[in-house]
Amino acid sequence: MMSLDRTKAPDFQLTDRISLVQAAPYRLDNGVPLYLIRAGEQPVVRVEWVFETGGWDELLPNVSWFTLRLLNEGTRQRKAAELAEFFDQYGAFLEFQPTADRSTVTLYALRKHLPVLLPAVHEFLNDAIFPEEELETQRTIALQNLEVNEGKTSFLAGRAFREQLFGADHPYGKSQTRENLRGFGREDLVSYFNTRIAGNPFRLFVAGLVDETEVSLLNRYFGQSALSPAPDRRSYADPHLGDLQSILLRVEDKMQSSIRIGKRMVNRLHPDYYPVLVTNEILGGYFGSRLMKNIREDKGYTYGIYSQINHFSHASQLFIGTDVNKEVTRQTLDEIRKEILRLQTEPVPAEELQTAKNYMTGQFVGSLNTPFEIADRHKVRILNQLPDDYSLRFIERIQAVTAEQVLDAAQAWFQWETLVEVVAGDK
Amino acid sequence: MIPYQSFLLDNGLRVFVHEDPTTPMAAVNVIYNVGSRDENPEKTGFAHLFEHLMFGGSAHIPDYDTPLQRVGGENNAFTSADITNYYITLPATNLETAFWLESDRMMSLSFDPEVLEVQRSVVIEEFKQRYLNQPYGDVWLKLRPLAYTTHPYQWATIGKEISHIEEATLDDVRDFFFRYYLPNNAVLVVAGNVTTEQVKQLCRKWFEPIAPGAAYNRHLPKEPVQTEARFLKTGAKVPLHALYKAYHMGGRYEQAFYEADLMADILGRGKSSRLYRKLVKENPVFNSINAYPTASLEPGLFVIQGNLNRGVSLEEGEAAVQSVIDELLATGPLESEVQKVKNQAEATLAFAEVELLNRAMNLAFAANGADAGWVNGEAERIQSVTADGIAAATASILRPANCSTLHYEAQA
Repeated sequence: MMSLDRTKAPDFQLTDRISLVQAAPYRLDNGVPLYLIRAGEQPVVRVEWVFETGGWDELLPNVSWFTLRLLNEGTRQRKAAELAEFFDQYGAFLEFQPTADRSTVTLYALRKHLPVLLPAVHEFLNDAIFPEEELETQRTIALQNLEVNEGKTSFLAGRAFREQLFGADHPYGKSQTRENLRGFGREDLVSYFNTRIAGNPFRLFVAGLVDETEVSLLNRYFGQSALSPAPDRRSYADPHLGDLQSILLRVEDKMQSSIRIGKRMVNRLHPDYYPVLVTNEILGGYFGSRLMKNIREDKGYTYGIYSQINHFSHASQLFIGTDVNKEVTRQTLDEIRKEILRLQTEPVPAEELQTAKNYMTGQFVGSLNTPFEIADRHKVRILNQLPDDYSLRFIERIQAVTAEQVLDAAQAWFQWETLVEVVAGDK
Repeated sequence: MIPYQSFLLDNGLRVFVHEDPTTPMAAVNVIYNVGSRDENPEKTGFAHLFEHLMFGGSAHIPDYDTPLQRVGGENNAFTSADITNYYITLPATNLETAFWLESDRMMSLSFDPEVLEVQRSVVIEEFKQRYLNQPYGDVWLKLRPLAYTTHPYQWATIGKEISHIEEATLDDVRDFFFRYYLPNNAVLVVAGNVTTEQVKQLCRKWFEPIAPGAAYNRHLPKEPVQTEARFLKTGAKVPLHALYKAYHMGGRYEQAFYEADLMADILGRGKSSRLYRKLVKENPVFNSINAYPTASLEPGLFVIQGNLNRGVSLEEGEAAVQSVIDELLATGPLESEVQKVKNQAEATLAFAEVELLNRAMNLAFAANGADAGWVNGEAERIQSVTADGIAAATASILRPANCSTLHYEAQA
């Protein structure tokens, strides 16, 4: 028998195409779009109600957030405790996700319970009453949680970073403060709810072991009443970036500094998007990235460092973050700068480029495993009006990026002088 | 339901295969039967430090991560008091890469002194980031030694103190590896778009040549029965007082675990739970409150923890928790409550099986902690719990003499 050569890696192959379960489009009788993603083997279902409104449209900070969080804290028919009891009784769980761009209510349940659960969701989406005492309870909790968070350098750095990038008054830049958490009342929630949620259009995403039974059920409870057209969304001037300065929030008694660095970035439809994405991956997108290898695996300054591209509806950002030993904050900043400079001056070696692209390919294939992940892919595409072949061609577009394009992207989009730098801790 | 097949290699490695042809991926999960409970009390934090070293190069492969990333895979690991768990997900077409990498580091590490130096720093930063630089981050560093006087669960997996990590030597690393990282002290689970036949062949090729070692027989000191209430007051610069109550209970793979687990749900799961309803909503004493079992393999802890609202003293908070416990003790759970938490557990179980990697891990945990078949009896065990059983569990666990209480005071 031939002895096994353990130094030699086995052969491998990577797919360049994916098979993606389709999102079957339906329309309820009142025109509400519904997308059905039938996948998985477990008897579970996830239903999402997506409203095109959020922090973007509120007149005072926190109003959209509290409106969403208080939807199931009391309706004309039931008290908060009764609603909680009802959903818990069926082992269902609800999520309320208010973001700057949109608002999502998510129901996770065993499929068999959906018929009894849907009317209760309909109830709070139309008849929520926002009781004063529930608001005050949640306000107190939020104020106290904010205080706890203000003891974390990571939180302080993240908040300052957003403000620096978008401005404290812009929907993407504003944060909870002790002042603005006290600066609104029940009537603000009621007004936001009546204007932006109740009777407004929404879209439905249904995923799991489901079929047209669920479509008819949803049509029965959510397809019968006419919806008024959504009011216009508020408009904002594109936030003007102030002078780029590095910000240091000095925090005593902390052993680590939180570093946040970044800038406004290209969106998913920009011609440079894929080269930027690959460049980001090589810089700090995965465990094998240059930042991770240098700052964690070579120098041991940190438990982790990462770089990512995030997208809002009207803006995208580059975000580099790490928590490091306070003593080496400056050295870490220098090393991040050096790594970016290296990407701008030396072409990335072929093998390193291929590894990053292959890793991204595997990640992408692996992110389509569950019905919920598949639904999320479709949702990103549909809600952001991306081309139909966006997901199907993702791998091929990543694999097509060349070393020259990475060099160009690093030079065009990662200039150190254009980056916002925030440190909470010391340096 | 997680269907599986299993076989045993000549060197004692136990292998479990869960075939799922609906995914293009494969998950490979390796549990080593060693955790922080197996550490020398003077060298704590070592099992976890060792986990980091497992990524620093093995006998024939200088770099673990890059070859895996090149074939589109990713990996991670975690250490607990009981076990050290390593996992990979990758496109199923490249399954053999995972076998190549995992078998080589089971065979031997490179024992590179530089890797030890760097990972020592990384782990110290992890210690700071998670336990020292966060509000309330050090709670478990204080609560464990209060609740456990004797059993090694008395120290946290990260270690008792940073100095233990600073003092680890390469000899410690070698000893640890050859004592615990043996095929006959491990469980391998392969799940996803694979076949049992294929896994058998790959196992023979890559894992079977690894020599077994002396079986590890665990002889850990038993925790004596607690006979009187324990109390510790501590504090830090945090905005809210926090209360922790930890009661001794049984281990994860005992029927009694399910009674305690459902009791925890009755007390603390969701907005309709007793603690939330009474102490966050009706009489707002707490900002947040929670109840859960630690689910360790050996006898664990039943924990009630909460952050108090400003202006409420720790004594008032504790009395309020006690009144909720007393009420449950006096009347037992309602039938409707028992049905509710069973329904919640049923849903949780179904959702937990959606993800391939979760299925692989749960199979591996059961195989290591009890027997693999246990994983498919979960639903039945939950359904067999009765209101009387929960009442009995409440009476036996939630006794003051069985409790360690920690007052974590907010200091200006």
